[in-house]
Amino acid sequence: MDIDKDTESGPAITIRSSERDHVNFVLKNVDLAVANSVRRTMMAEVPTLAIDLVEIDVNTSVLADEFIAHRLGLIPLVSDSIDELSYSRDCTCDQYCNKCSVKLELAAKCDTDSTMNIYASDLAKFQNGSTLGDPVIRDAQGKGSLICKLRKHQELRITCIAKKGIAKEHAKWSPCSAVGFEYDPWNKLKHTDYWYEESVEDEWPKSENCEWEEAPDPEAPFDYNARANNFYVDIETIGSLSPNDVFVKSLETLQLKLAGISVELNKDTVESSNAESGGLTTYGRNGGETPEINYGGSYGGSSWS
Amino acid sequence: MGNKRKASHIASDGVSTDEAFQPLLKEVYKGKKLTDKINTAEDKWNLLPAFLKVKGLVKQHLDSFNYFVDTDLKKIIKANELVLSDVDPEFYLKYLDIRVGCKSSTSTAKGLSKEVNLVPHDCRLRDLTYSAPIYVDVEYTRGRKIIVHRDLEIGRMPIMLRSNKCLLDGIDDKKMAKYDECPLDPGGYFIVNGTEKVILVQEQLSKNRIIVEADEKKGIVQASVTSSTHERKSKTYVITKNDKIYLKHNSISEDVPIVIILKAAGITSDLEILQLVCGNDPNYQDLFAINFEEAAKLEIFTQQQALHYVGKRVKTIRRAGAPKLSQLQEGIEAIATTIIAHITVSDLQFREKALYIAMMTRRVLMTMENPKMVDDRDYVGNKRLELAGQLMSLLFEDLFKKFNSDFKANIDKILKKPSRASEFDALLSINIHSNNITMGMNRAISTGNWSLKRFKMERAGVTHVLSRLSYISALGMMTRISSQFEKSRKVSGPRALQPSQFGMLCTSDTPEGEACGLVKNLALMTHITTDDEEEPIKRLCFILGCEDILEVDSASLHAKGNYGIYLNGTLIGTTRFPAKFVGDFRNLRRTGKISAFISIYTNSHQSAVHIATDGGRICRPLIIVDKNNVSKVKAKHLLKLQRDEWAFDDFLKHGLVEYLDVNEENDSLIAIYERDLSDSTKSNITHLEVEPFTVLGAVAGLIPYPHHNQSPRNTYQCAMGKQAIGAIGYNQFRRIDTLLYLMVYPQQPMVKTKTIELIDYDKLPAGQNATVAVMSYSGYDIEDALVLNKASVDRGFGRCQVLRKNTITLKRYPNHTKDILSGMRVDENNEPIPPHSSLGPDGLGEVGMKLENGQVYVNKCVPTNAGETVLNGPGANEQPAESHRETPAYYKGPEPSYVDQVMMSVSDNDQALIKVLLRQTRRPELGDKFSSRHGQKGVCGIIVQQEDLPFNDDGISPDIIMNPHGFPSRMTVGKMIELISGKAGVLNGTLEYGTCFGGSDLQDMSEILVQNGFNYSGKDMLYSGITGECLQAYIFFGPIYYQKLKHMVLDKMHARARGPRAVLTRQPTEGRSRDGGLRLGEMERDCVIAYGASQLLLERLMLSSDAFEVDVCNKCGLMGHNNWCTSCNSSEHVIKMTIPYAAKLLFQELISMNIAPRLRLGDVF
Repeated sequence: MDIDKDTESGPAITIRSSERDHVNFVLKNVDLAVANSVRRTMMAEVPTLAIDLVEIDVNTSVLADEFIAHRLGLIPLVSDSIDELSYSRDCTCDQYCNKCSVKLELAAKCDTDSTMNIYASDLAKFQNGSTLGDPVIRDAQGKGSLICKLRKHQELRITCIAKKGIAKEHAKWSPCSAVGFEYDPWNKLKHTDYWYEESVEDEWPKSENCEWEEAPDPEAPFDYNARANNFYVDIETIGSLSPNDVFVKSLETLQLKLAGISVELNKDTVESSNAESGGLTTYGRNGGETPEINYGGSYGGSSWS
Repeated sequence: MGNKRKASHIASDGVSTDEAFQPLLKEVYKGKKLTDKINTAEDKWNLLPAFLKVKGLVKQHLDSFNYFVDTDLKKIIKANELVLSDVDPEFYLKYLDIRVGCKSSTSTAKGLSKEVNLVPHDCRLRDLTYSAPIYVDVEYTRGRKIIVHRDLEIGRMPIMLRSNKCLLDGIDDKKMAKYDECPLDPGGYFIVNGTEKVILVQEQLSKNRIIVEADEKKGIVQASVTSSTHERKSKTYVITKNDKIYLKHNSISEDVPIVIILKAAGITSDLEILQLVCGNDPNYQDLFAINFEEAAKLEIFTQQQALHYVGKRVKTIRRAGAPKLSQLQEGIEAIATTIIAHITVSDLQFREKALYIAMMTRRVLMTMENPKMVDDRDYVGNKRLELAGQLMSLLFEDLFKKFNSDFKANIDKILKKPSRASEFDALLSINIHSNNITMGMNRAISTGNWSLKRFKMERAGVTHVLSRLSYISALGMMTRISSQFEKSRKVSGPRALQPSQFGMLCTSDTPEGEACGLVKNLALMTHITTDDEEEPIKRLCFILGCEDILEVDSASLHAKGNYGIYLNGTLIGTTRFPAKFVGDFRNLRRTGKISAFISIYTNSHQSAVHIATDGGRICRPLIIVDKNNVSKVKAKHLLKLQRDEWAFDDFLKHGLVEYLDVNEENDSLIAIYERDLSDSTKSNITHLEVEPFTVLGAVAGLIPYPHHNQSPRNTYQCAMGKQAIGAIGYNQFRRIDTLLYLMVYPQQPMVKTKTIELIDYDKLPAGQNATVAVMSYSGYDIEDALVLNKASVDRGFGRCQVLRKNTITLKRYPNHTKDILSGMRVDENNEPIPPHSSLGPDGLGEVGMKLENGQVYVNKCVPTNAGETVLNGPGANEQPAESHRETPAYYKGPEPSYVDQVMMSVSDNDQALIKVLLRQTRRPELGDKFSSRHGQKGVCGIIVQQEDLPFNDDGISPDIIMNPHGFPSRMTVGKMIELISGKAGVLNGTLEYGTCFGGSDLQDMSEILVQNGFNYSGKDMLYSGITGECLQAYIFFGPIYYQKLKHMVLDKMHARARGPRAVLTRQPTEGRSRDGGLRLGEMERDCVIAYGASQLLLERLMLSSDAFEVDVCNKCGLMGHNNWCTSCNSSEHVIKMTIPYAAKLLFQELISMNIAPRLRLGDVF
């Protein structure tokens, strides 16, 4: 990968601001399709850890079992070392094991007259020697997100099994809350037609990213060869992965997928030449994840492998 | 403006707890801080919550019921107080007093004396009736002694929830919680046998009032009056026939010339008749003169002759045993009691009645002369609303009369016996019949059939089951008014929107289809009056200078400038100073000397002042404007209201606000806004509207910016708001209803209305704020379909719970056997067998267990010998050997459910009652129905991955994509403004208002958008999620409140290959619930015929349906069986063929009717 090197032609990144769960950068010298692929992968295909299986022993709270299970699933869990974990479906174990899951337990009973709040921090993890699977806690009190409220004599005794997964399957596995994405703040490429009543300039507020690009010369002729080059990306994560991880892992995932395509394509040429007499197609051959959208074959082997 | 907005960030602080949220909300709720300056024009709306505090949305029901139990019952007792015996003249029983729910000994002053022994929620759960005992005090004779007996229970009365006899009356929220009751529940309904029943408000034409109608084509004019008294109901007409005027009544066999009736009523002089009917007007005199001819021709000149004439024509229905009356007596009887029965005649003084008939005649004459003088039946002022209390009182009086006559028959039977062992105590036999009242009341309310013997009234569908689909549907039901008109008739008049409905009945909320316009809803600020005493008002009129009608000279009655004063439609006197009279009367009302609900108005066309004290009139409060065109409600008064020093009643008491009914309202000039008062062209403004948005009712009040919508859209939303899934009540998890829909994460709308706050919809909402992009996407959004974001669905958007009740009763049988529960059966490994895996050892489903299709949740066992009677055989005393057969309750459904609650109780008749509540949690799926609050419904067409959806430069992607074609033809501009206001609210951290005729200003909202770096129009630039390229077009993008409707695919999906068939026809069954087939109907059949696909036709209509092999005898053409023709006694010509079973059935039926259908078979080739 040539991203780190600030060469004239190669892709480049300028980080504008960075926080614990948030990063804002400019992605340069890449194609629009590449930038969008990265965005999509970050949102949907970076594996994280989330509670997937809930075993309820006792639930005398007012909320139904499914209700609590759903809430538990949406709690972000620290997934920094997610690579150590394998997908449950790939694991050799029967149902789940230490290699493919993290077990958390919640046991709470209210004995006081006032209502008792159960927070994500009350989830107790079975020790696995790392921070993997700890609930993400970001508030000042260190409580985490609220799961449920209990009244006197109400009780919760729950075992949760967190598994590795991607957001394509369920949004709880998404590491990002939102991925901001912008290019061509001056609309030089005329990709969009601003709606206006009197004047575009007055009615459409300027983007902050306008400062990063030169204002267009109103006299200049429209350059129909121009392509989008600078992408202003803003990643906000939910805390399960750091923004840096999200970005890097998304590239890895993307690379892996592209490699898959490349392999399949090559196979295709071999096979189609072999099976001229109504031979096989490779569609769906892979068995695993078939990408829903065809990214176009040209990226296949050339610059990214 | 800017800093004001920044000051309060409410919604942005998502995690803030309820405690911190509440006071902030309250500040907004009150509209302003206490220190803020009061602006009367803006803050007068605070009167509305004050009004709702004392009157409430269901107050009319409660008031009516309270009036019934406190006042009307006593009147009924008074009217039927004596029970006498035909046998023993010494005997009497007299009712002294009646009470509901409390004994006389316990002081009624304290609120502790309520004798309802069950909490309402227990009644709901245990299928019991929420009722209280009815106690009477009686005085009767036993032997020679007179005995007074107090607190005799004669039955139980169903109690309206939250009425003053209800446990829930006047208790605080904490106590409510203790009783498992929701403090926001409106009450006003009954609980009978565990179901919540509402007695709908019934709309009727007003009683005891003259209604004049004309048929211009036929040239008929008629004045009619429906007289209604406690004993009877009858209708009297004065009609024209060939320009002559007659009186028509059901109990008189032919129409009587009006002059004869007037003569029979004691006005014998033709001159006086002319004076009473026509006055001095020569036009009227000319029109009327012809009527004298007829009387003269019949040679009827005296009262005696007239009475004979009438008496001869009376249809007599005499009870057996009553003495026969002479013709004269019949005539007197008819005039005195039958005709215009609501005017009572004492001492044969007919003058009042004669004047009434003369008035009716005059009205007919006026209409003959000027056809515009007719009354409008559909005018709301001519309508009366009958409420629960009135209906219950009719029912109770009927039952009470029946009770007394049964009681009397019983006493007579005992007293008839010549020798009695002990002294007869009437009390012993009174209790025998006490069940009749209880049962009668319960039956009427639970079936909705109101059958009253004395009025020959038979009305069905009076009560309805309270719909608990959502909080709004329950509330909407309490304000519903049903009309007596037939639904099938094609008339537009009663269905049309009446201008007089303004402010009284909601202009939007009516169903579509056959009941359109016939079912109405009350507006937010309406009140329905209860009966008031007539007598004191009559005396007051005379004090105010009204001349008694009995003393007024006939000649001057219709003199110019002389106004008649009518009390509840009856002429009681005249005045020459109507303006002063009305003014004085109003002053007395405004100072609280007489009831605030008595209305008075002048009708100059009829030269009449009408005073109404009767119940069932619709009225509403208005601010009084004084002569200088200044509102009487000033800032200082509103300040007092805000500081809780004053309540709404104080405004009434101080004469700042008054109630106007429809008739009086139409005699007033009402300004809508305070700014209209300064309009110099209107100098005679009398009143000022409290708030214009009160023209809408509670349900239509949910719509934001309804005044920007096309009106049918608001009507559609009114129907759909009732189907929205949301929170039902604070006790929703304690309820066990047949079907309960609950939303998992309901949200209060970003764009609220004042009505929403007033009816607490923000506390029990039904919907979620969805970020909507108005654009076309994927093609799966045509025909109003919606595109849903999968990530939103994953995170809980539109998720709901469906709870279904299953009731099982364990019966007892006469032979002492009973149903039992048996535990789960186990296999050889001691594991429960698969259908029993959700059962506990007690045979009941365990709470929290999953139930798949075909699994058992209650393992009930029925005794095999339940049919045997104990009396059978010699060994009758032996306990029959207990042997049981399993008849378990299976779960049936395409998706599994979970056991939510199991309740075991004992019902009324000592049978064990088991209720099992099964729960499903559903996430939205393809085909589920959603709707915004603007009558824009749509089904989910596709669920799309978040990364494929469009997004803006902040990375926000929509929850819902709506196709823009929904807008142009629907013209729901309100929805667009809701989006902009909602978007501004999100950016600003505030909740915005979309109140009707008000709400947050669009320009202000746009300013907020601009301040936050958005386009003022609410349009955003979006990027395609698939390519990352920005979309060519701008997109209208922002939050809109979306409701999930109860129609879900899971409840409707249905397919069948083979399955059950109907017994008779052997065709596939019909309907999803019976796993029925999908019918290839007539029209589809036509298509197949036209296409010529005969084999397909054969397959669809016979082979796949009811193919049947018959043996046809080709000789006689009849059907045989087993290869044998019974009529030919041979098997020679019998041929097997396949015909539809239905055809075979038809042939057999024809044969049974002596028609022989013969089949002649020939070769095809």
